[in-house]
Amino acid sequence: MVGTIFLVIALAFSVMALVMYYLSFKGYKNTLNYARISYHGMVMFIIAASTLLWYALLNHQYQYNYVFSYSNNSLDTGFLLASFWGGQEGSFMLWLLISAIIGVILQSYTSKRKELEPQVMAVFTLATTFLLVMVSPWFKNPFEFIWATPLFLDISSINPLYLELPFLQPFFFTDNSSGAGFIQMNSELHGLLAGSGISVNEFISDGRGLNPQLLNFWMQIHPPILFTGFSMATVPFAFALGALMKNDYKEWVRQAFPWLLAGMGILGLGIMLGGYWAYEMLGWGGYWAWDPVENSSLIPWIVGLAGIHTLLVQRKSQLKGGFGKFARTNLILCILTYVLVLYSTFLTRSGVLGDASVHSFVDPGNIVYFFLLLFTGTFLILGLGAIVYRWKWLTDNTQTEVGLLSRELALFTAAVVLLASGLIILVGTSAPIFGQSVETFFYNEMILPIAIIIGLLNGLSLMMKWRNTKTKDLLKKSLPSLGIAFLISVLIVVLGSIDEILIMLLVFSMLFSLVVNGEIAFKIIKGNKKMLGAYVAHIGIALFILGVIGSSVNSQQVDVDLIKNETVSAFGYEMTFTSWKPIDNNTKYSFNIDVKSGDSEYQVNPVMYVSDFNNSLMRIPAILTLPTQDFYITPLGYDEGKNSFVSQRESVVLEKGDRIDFNGMYIAFTKFHLNEGVMEAMQEGRDFQMGAILIIEKDGKVEEIELLRKQISGKVEFTSFASEELDIKIKLVKLTAVNVEIALSRMVNEIEGEIAQTQEILYISASIKPFISFVWIGVVVMVVGFFISVMRRLRDSLSK
Amino acid sequence: MKNKYIFGSFIIVVFLGIMIYLFTQSNIQYQDDFTEVMNTNKTVKATGSWVKEKNYHHDKVNKTFTFYMVDDNGNEMKVVYKGSIPNNFETAQSVVVTGKYVNGYFHAKDILTKCPSKYEDEQIRTSTL
Repeated sequence: MVGTIFLVIALAFSVMALVMYYLSFKGYKNTLNYARISYHGMVMFIIAASTLLWYALLNHQYQYNYVFSYSNNSLDTGFLLASFWGGQEGSFMLWLLISAIIGVILQSYTSKRKELEPQVMAVFTLATTFLLVMVSPWFKNPFEFIWATPLFLDISSINPLYLELPFLQPFFFTDNSSGAGFIQMNSELHGLLAGSGISVNEFISDGRGLNPQLLNFWMQIHPPILFTGFSMATVPFAFALGALMKNDYKEWVRQAFPWLLAGMGILGLGIMLGGYWAYEMLGWGGYWAWDPVENSSLIPWIVGLAGIHTLLVQRKSQLKGGFGKFARTNLILCILTYVLVLYSTFLTRSGVLGDASVHSFVDPGNIVYFFLLLFTGTFLILGLGAIVYRWKWLTDNTQTEVGLLSRELALFTAAVVLLASGLIILVGTSAPIFGQSVETFFYNEMILPIAIIIGLLNGLSLMMKWRNTKTKDLLKKSLPSLGIAFLISVLIVVLGSIDEILIMLLVFSMLFSLVVNGEIAFKIIKGNKKMLGAYVAHIGIALFILGVIGSSVNSQQVDVDLIKNETVSAFGYEMTFTSWKPIDNNTKYSFNIDVKSGDSEYQVNPVMYVSDFNNSLMRIPAILTLPTQDFYITPLGYDEGKNSFVSQRESVVLEKGDRIDFNGMYIAFTKFHLNEGVMEAMQEGRDFQMGAILIIEKDGKVEEIELLRKQISGKVEFTSFASEELDIKIKLVKLTAVNVEIALSRMVNEIEGEIAQTQEILYISASIKPFISFVWIGVVVMVVGFFISVMRRLRDSLSK
Repeated sequence: MKNKYIFGSFIIVVFLGIMIYLFTQSNIQYQDDFTEVMNTNKTVKATGSWVKEKNYHHDKVNKTFTFYMVDDNGNEMKVVYKGSIPNNFETAQSVVVTGKYVNGYFHAKDILTKCPSKYEDEQIRTSTL
């Protein structure tokens, strides 16, 4: 209750700050202080509400629906803190909290720099207002009580002390198919409990817990970083819209620059941490699947990158007076970056991606759908509307002349090429809205040539001078780098046996970029280190893409059955499954595989367990990281004889006349067999039986059998047929008016199964990922590059 | 000046042309009605749910993975996937398979299991109560 009130007060403060900042922008003199007080008031209440939510999670206050749904008693402190963003409500809350704190920094930042604060903060508080409405009691409030909307609670989560309460009986329900018992929690039950002096928190003793797929170290890190990137994307938008409001396009560029760089650096890191999580834990076997959820956060990142390149041109050309080149482009790109962050939220939270994504999303209801649409639409219309409004003035006052072989044009082309790749991903990712979908080769084929262009362009542009370059000079300068890149490419293509021409070109293009950036970085490392940023970031991206090529082009995968203590080899690795042991209080099973590669011996431990959360088998891969490649083992199943994880039974549905193959036999369902009077017996509820006639044909010999469905005093029984000679066992599972379902197995199987008890088998999928470490190293190097640039631009933003 | 725009437009048209072409090439329709799936010979993404009662079968010799899917209207179809069991298959609330229906069963080249994610609240099945 208190939490909800805090959020409502914060919302009031946010609206107040928005109004006051707007009035200050309009020229009122005494409103700025009120605006600042309101903003800081809002931040305090948001922090207080977040603290309350964390407190409720740490203390297992299951009277809150959110706490019940996303945490339980067995989570350790780290995961309890992380369950804050385990669900939809909390992740909006996290976004809000980070935004609020970033706003504090932004307020202090803008107040120290030339009359930027009112308009920038007005736009920023509009964003916090929308987020606050999202977590308000009318939408996705994390402080909603558990009885607010009727919910079925599993019996096991109820304190057994209270199960005998007489007034509880009408709230018991049983699931017919699984036999599980539930209690319906609603306001009526809450009233009854309160009447008997029992608090809901005592009544519910355990929560549902966090989805096992989220129980990973990165759950504690990836979402906050991603949301920091999202929140920081608001800032360049606020600067751009503020500039349009003031009709002043000079100052905002250098002020927004460090924010855009830092925001994109963090967003890029967040996206790839998600990829690393998927690689390490989810067993997709890769780090990127062109999944709409991944794509949707990649799009704003790419647009932001394009913005960085054109912002650079505007800043550089400003030094010659005026507000510089590409003013309109920069406004549009900074606005689009944030609008695309919102669009990404719309795609992933509104339920429109439904069937398209590996992640699935419960439809949050129409009202949230339309609110998200309104949120995105408002910022799109405000941003683009302002640009349209100022378009004529901007066109009349922008410098346009740009030399053909100038670095300006090269940077602009880089932005255009990046935008093209952003558009491709946007089209593919949005397709599910219209009931369409694209296969991943759409992305791969489209992005590949673009990546080649990007690498070549990057290398060439760095050798071009600002304003204009002589063609001859450019050729002379680029020849050595082209030569070195070519030689290394040939080496890689031959050694890596790459046979696709486009991949060869990509290798060459990335090496060219790597050589040029490396050379420049090497030259300036002794001198002005703060200039290093761009080159380091480019080196990072080139390494990253080389890692992508290495790990995907030469990746190989094979399924292997590891019989205990028998050595099997794959890709030059000799694997021996030696033992397994229970871990984590006997809840999980860790399998020990000895891996031998050449003279080195290693041990890897894939893990499998059945999760209580969703009653399913979770498989955690084991990765052996070696200098040149990763050896990746995903457990598939384990057979210890009787209690195997993997079911052997095969059941089939047959309609009249259907024929199937089984173990060298034909089995056909020819007809139903109904005695006279069956219909009457059925209607009168007397005992009756129905038969299904099957034919088994082996080596020309035909045998006819009948399987029965018997109804004896209300109970249903099915008969089965077994034959040692034919080595088959058929059991009737279901008989309806139109078809029958039978389960088939071999007789020998059962005998074998007994013997096989001592022969334990671990089923795994093994794959190699050459040079995947370049992917991670590349990302780290790139992020370092971003932050070197941030430092430089931060200094620039403070220059007089 | 004029040339610049002509050149620019030319590039854009070529780019969009290639994109639209590839889009139509890689485009796959979603289909949640299995009678449609069985009647078309195009590659589709069939969406439905796994028939848990019928279990699944993992043929270790032929490396195939077989299970049954049912659509909202109760139409069942057998699905055979060349490969091993997809991770988190048992968790799946619904399954999306990509492929074709030929010779009495669905040949899946890709299985996508929709598992509860961090943004999702896995509801207890209330419908059967």
